[in-house]
Order: sequence, then structure tokens, then C-alpha cells
Amino acid sequence: MKKLQFLILFCTAAIAVSAQNQFLLYSFKGNVSVIENNVESKAKVGKPLNAAATVKVAAGGAVTLICNEAAMFTFTKAGSYQLGKFGDSCKVNSSSVSANYVKYVWASMTKSNGSAGSNRKAYMNTVGAVTRNMTNIWIDNRLDTINYSGVVNEFPISWKSYAEAKDFEFSLYKDDNISTPIYTTFVNKLKVPIKDFSAKMKAGNSYFWTAAVKGEENDELKVLNYVTKEKFEAVLETIKKQGAAFEATAEQSYRIAFLLEDAHYLAEAYQYYLKATTSDPQNGLYRSTLMSFKKDYEIK
Amino acid sequence: MKKPLHKHIGHHARKVHGHITKYLYERDTIFATIWVFIFIVVLGSIPLNLGVLNPIKLGLKDFDFNDMSYSKLGKASTTPIDSNIVIINIGQADREGIALLIDKAASYKPKAMGLDVVFDGPRDPHKDSLLEETIKRNENLVMAAKYGVDSADKLVAGGNYFLHKGNHVGYVNFPNDDKETVRTYYPFKKDDHDKNIVLPSFSSSLLKLFDTSAYQKLEKKANQKVIINYTRRTSQYLVVNAEDLLMDNVDSASIEGRIALLAYVNTNPNDIEDKKFSPMNEKFAGKSHPDMNGIVVHANIISMALEKNYIKKVPLWATLLIAVFVCWLHMSFFVRYYLESHIWFHLVAKILQVASAIFFVWLGIYLFDRYRLKVDLKLSMITIVMAVDVIYFYEAWAVWMHKKFNYKTVFKPHHH
Repeated sequence: MKKLQFLILFCTAAIAVSAQNQFLLYSFKGNVSVIENNVESKAKVGKPLNAAATVKVAAGGAVTLICNEAAMFTFTKAGSYQLGKFGDSCKVNSSSVSANYVKYVWASMTKSNGSAGSNRKAYMNTVGAVTRNMTNIWIDNRLDTINYSGVVNEFPISWKSYAEAKDFEFSLYKDDNISTPIYTTFVNKLKVPIKDFSAKMKAGNSYFWTAAVKGEENDELKVLNYVTKEKFEAVLETIKKQGAAFEATAEQSYRIAFLLEDAHYLAEAYQYYLKATTSDPQNGLYRSTLMSFKKDYEIK
Repeated sequence: MKKPLHKHIGHHARKVHGHITKYLYERDTIFATIWVFIFIVVLGSIPLNLGVLNPIKLGLKDFDFNDMSYSKLGKASTTPIDSNIVIINIGQADREGIALLIDKAASYKPKAMGLDVVFDGPRDPHKDSLLEETIKRNENLVMAAKYGVDSADKLVAGGNYFLHKGNHVGYVNFPNDDKETVRTYYPFKKDDHDKNIVLPSFSSSLLKLFDTSAYQKLEKKANQKVIINYTRRTSQYLVVNAEDLLMDNVDSASIEGRIALLAYVNTNPNDIEDKKFSPMNEKFAGKSHPDMNGIVVHANIISMALEKNYIKKVPLWATLLIAVFVCWLHMSFFVRYYLESHIWFHLVAKILQVASAIFFVWLGIYLFDRYRLKVDLKLSMITIVMAVDVIYFYEAWAVWMHKKFNYKTVFKPHHH
């Protein structure tokens, strides 16, 4: 009997060991190391890791792992990560294609596309074109052009990087001289707040800006119009007049925000999205739109 | 006394069965079905290309229902990474840089290497000679070429300045327009006149070096168009950046004994450099951007050959047979409603058309997903759409035939 119990226990343990998650180090940037069997070594792309391994990510680093050859996840914050604790990240959606088909057909038949006002992305997704790009920087076409009035100073200009770079160069040019920047700064984030260089600009002028991985060049220039306060007030007044007769404060703020964003007054639009949400905090549409806006423009 | 549930279900099932089968073997149902196909043949034979005025036809020119399974239904989203293949991203490296990367990749001892780059002509002599020496040195390197015909109508591989410096060559072009989805490829191309001239594709040349049995299976498909079974997106292959390779940031075991593919890869959706339209495109209908780097298409072909999971296509005769059967069943149902419940005919017909479309799309996707069987059910769906209109024509024809030749029909003059 004891032998049988031992055999069952052994088999259970063997199954548990064999069912351990297996990880693959897919990619990394910055200083990343791996601790296996108390031995620390430099991270290497394509290295298989077991659940007992620990991944150490230094500040500014990131690592992407694939669990059980299917589930991909990334650590972007500095710290030590014991892989055994990330079993949840190994789960993959295993619902069948047939079940997904039924869900898809049902959703397509029952869900409406929504109005333009409730779907800002669909409504404003009319900008730009694809490029045969040589640079590692991608700037959202929504940030070309930016109209800035100076009424609100808290708004970042952001970009994305396809290279594993730590430092980026931001440059601002006057529209009549694109060879010498009037402002240059090096940042380790993928954004620069407008307030950092607003003093360098004069209302009524147009500027070009670009961002590049430090040491590289990016010829793609985006427009930044520093609009006078008077001009902005006129735009705002026109938008305000377009409202319905009995418009609640939150409704008006949301409408103004939406139209300002469409007119590329992004910093100003943000203030009105905030106002709409604070005026009617129970409104799910206002909340979700504000969250989506903040995510799109890297506002933290 | 109330009937038990199973008797209720049985009763309704018998009722529906009766609706379908009541006129199934009637001469009118069979002839009306034949008329549907006559109409399809006649309309399809009109020598004018009316498609130019038809936005639906133009929009659906490159459409395949199975594409939906990738973009909307999660097919291939959990396919395990293919550890046999490593893609080395050459980025914007020049010829000297590419030579360096080939040598570095070779130092990891891959079983086969492929360079998916075509070099137009001579450039910097120093860099060209460096690359030439590297190509000569690495005997397991497959060079990319493009197949075409020369002035004597002979099949040739060309388009690469360094083509004849290497030991192995494979063509990288696909038998379709650049603006169309890459669904098929030729594993081998045979000359139309001289059967001894055979060119292998890029993936076939790599397979020859890597896996003889997979290559031999592929050899049997010479000069056949093979449907590509897409199973993986870029992230489902190990992609190594040039910097990581040069700085020894790569685990040697992940390249040793495997296939190393050197090419340009970019996951930026707005960068369409060397990108093709694939069935895995997020947008399965209408205008979209090319989504997959050429090398990932080749990688999918290699994965398909190694895993021996080729897609089987149902032959034309079977497609026709399915369409006839589907049309016949629907016609029987429509005739029953047309004659006995005409007031409901159009409503029932429209509901059935929608329900049948949903069902047949699912059936096609299910067979493709489960059994890798590609069934073209478009013809079946066209017959269902046409059946309703053909009934009106058939009624007039049958009544005329009845008057003229005493043709026996269930349709009466001025039925409605």
C-alpha cells in the first residue's frame, strides 16, 4: 500500500514538474540579466528559461518573454522578476474559431457603429498616409499639425520609437529656417512638455518640430502653429455658438473638446474633456473619451 | 394533456423536414435548379466586363471569407513560435554591413541561411568585393533572385548582381500582383518549353539544405501553385536585430542547426517597405495597408513545409456538386413557400438567404480551420441568391410550356 502511495505521489510530482511553464527570452533593451541556479548572466535573445529563473531589469530597460511558446508579455519597469510568479501571463485565449465566429456575427448584427461624437477615433482617423520610413521614430499623424494658443501650457508632444534607444533628441525649428533649430533638448522619455520650450516661440508664428533617436536624424518635420490668443478665442466662440439651445455644461464642454481636437487644438481640447468629466463624472462616454485621449497623447 | 418536450421538437422537425422535402423530387424543382445554373453560365458568358460598374464585385475581387478567421476569429493567434527559423533583421545595413551580418550569423552555425535581398547592380567596389567574398565563403547561403523569361522566352533567374557568386539560389517573387493578397506560390518553376530548366523558390532551396524529407515532399508539387498556410505573424518567429547579433546578445542555441533568414523586418504598421498583403491582415475586406514583410511570408512557407500542414483545395467538380445540392434543397423550400404560402414567400426567402450565408461562411471557415480544407462556397451562395429570382422566370416558362406542349407543372397560370 505504501509503495502504491509513493508511486502516486511520485507520478503527481512528475506531472507537476513537467507542467511547469517554459519561457523564451524574445527581446530586450537596456541592462537585463538572468539569474539561473544562483548564477547571474547577461540576457540573450532566444534563451530558454524555466519557471525558477529570475529576470533582472535595470532602469530604462525592458524585456519581452514568450511563455510556453505562445503567450507574450513584457516587463518595462526596473526590478527583479521571478518567472514562476507569472503563470497568469502564460494563459492564452483558447476559445474555438467557431465560438468566436458566433460571437463576431452576433456582435456585428446587434451592435451599432455609434455616432461620430461617441467614437472620436473613427471620426478623426482621416489623417496621413503610410510611409517608406527610414527612421526609427514614428510620430502619430494626429500630432501633425498642432495648433497651440498658449492658454494651456500642460501638454506633451510625443512619439514612438521602433529602436531600443534610451535617449532622444527633440528639435524645434522656425518655419523659415529648417537647417538650424531654435531649440534642442535630449530626453530619455518619448515626449517633451510644450511648456519646456513655449518661451522660445512667439504667438502668430509657425514652427516645425521633430524627434530622433540620439545620434540619428529624422527628416520628418511636423507643424506647430503658435496661434494668437485672439485667433483662438474666435475659434472657440464659433464652436460655442454651434451648440443646441439647452445644452448642459458637461455636454457643451464635451462638444467643444471634440471640435477643438478635430481642429488640432490639442492642449485646449484636453482642458475641455477634463471639464466635461468633472461636470458629469457619472457619464461613461466622457470618462472613456478622456482616458482614451490621455492614452493617445501620452498624458500622465 | 400537454405533449412532452421531445414530441414538440419531433413535431417541428417533421414540419421543417416536410417544408424542404415536399417538392424536392418534383420535376419543377429539378428544372428550376437547372435554370439557376443556366442563368449563371449565361450571365458569366456575357463578353462585356460589367464588373467595372459593380463596386461590390470590384471590392470583393481579392476577398476570401477565410481571411476573417485570422483578423476576427483569433485563428493562428496562439500558434507556438517556430524554433526552426530565426529571422535576422538587417535593418538599413549597407553591403558591407550585410556581409558582416552574414559572417556573424554563420559563426553561430545555422544549418541553412537565406538572404532575402536583391542587389540591383554594382555600387562601391570595396563593399561589393567584401560581400562577394562573404557569399562565396558561406556555402549554405541561399541567394534571392526573381524569376522571369528572357528574350528567347526561356525561364531565367535574375535581378541580383551577386546571384552567380553564391552556391544556392531561390526566387522570391510571388505569382500575383503587388496589390493582391499573397495566397499562393510556386515551389518550383519549370520552363514552358524545356522541362529540364527548373528553378526552385527561395523557401525550396532553404528546405533542400535543411530537411531532405520535407524537400522531397515539396518536389512532388513542381510547377503547381501551392496555397500558403499562414500560421504565424512576425512576433511568432524569433526576430533578432542586427545590433543584438553583432554584440553577441543572442543565445547561440537559438541559431545553431536552424534556418537563419536575413532580411528587412519592420513591425511599424506605417512602414510598408517590403511588405505584402497577407490573409492575416487586420482588415479582411476593403482598402488596407500591406501588413507582412516578405521574409515572414517565406518563413510561413517553410513552416508549412516542415510541419507538412499543406492546405487541400476541394476540386472544381466537388465545388459544383455542392452548389447543385445546396441550390436544389433551397429551391425545394422556396417552391413550397411560393406555391403554398406566397404571402410569406419573400420574407421567408430573405431570412433563409441570410441564415444560409451565415451558415456557409461558418462551414467554410470551420473546414479550413479544422481540416485545412479550402472549399469555395461562393458559388453555393450565389445560387441561393439567384434561386428566388429564377422561380419567377421558371413559373412563366413552365406555364408557357404547359400551354404549348402540355408540360406537367405544379405552377398554375396567374398563380399570384
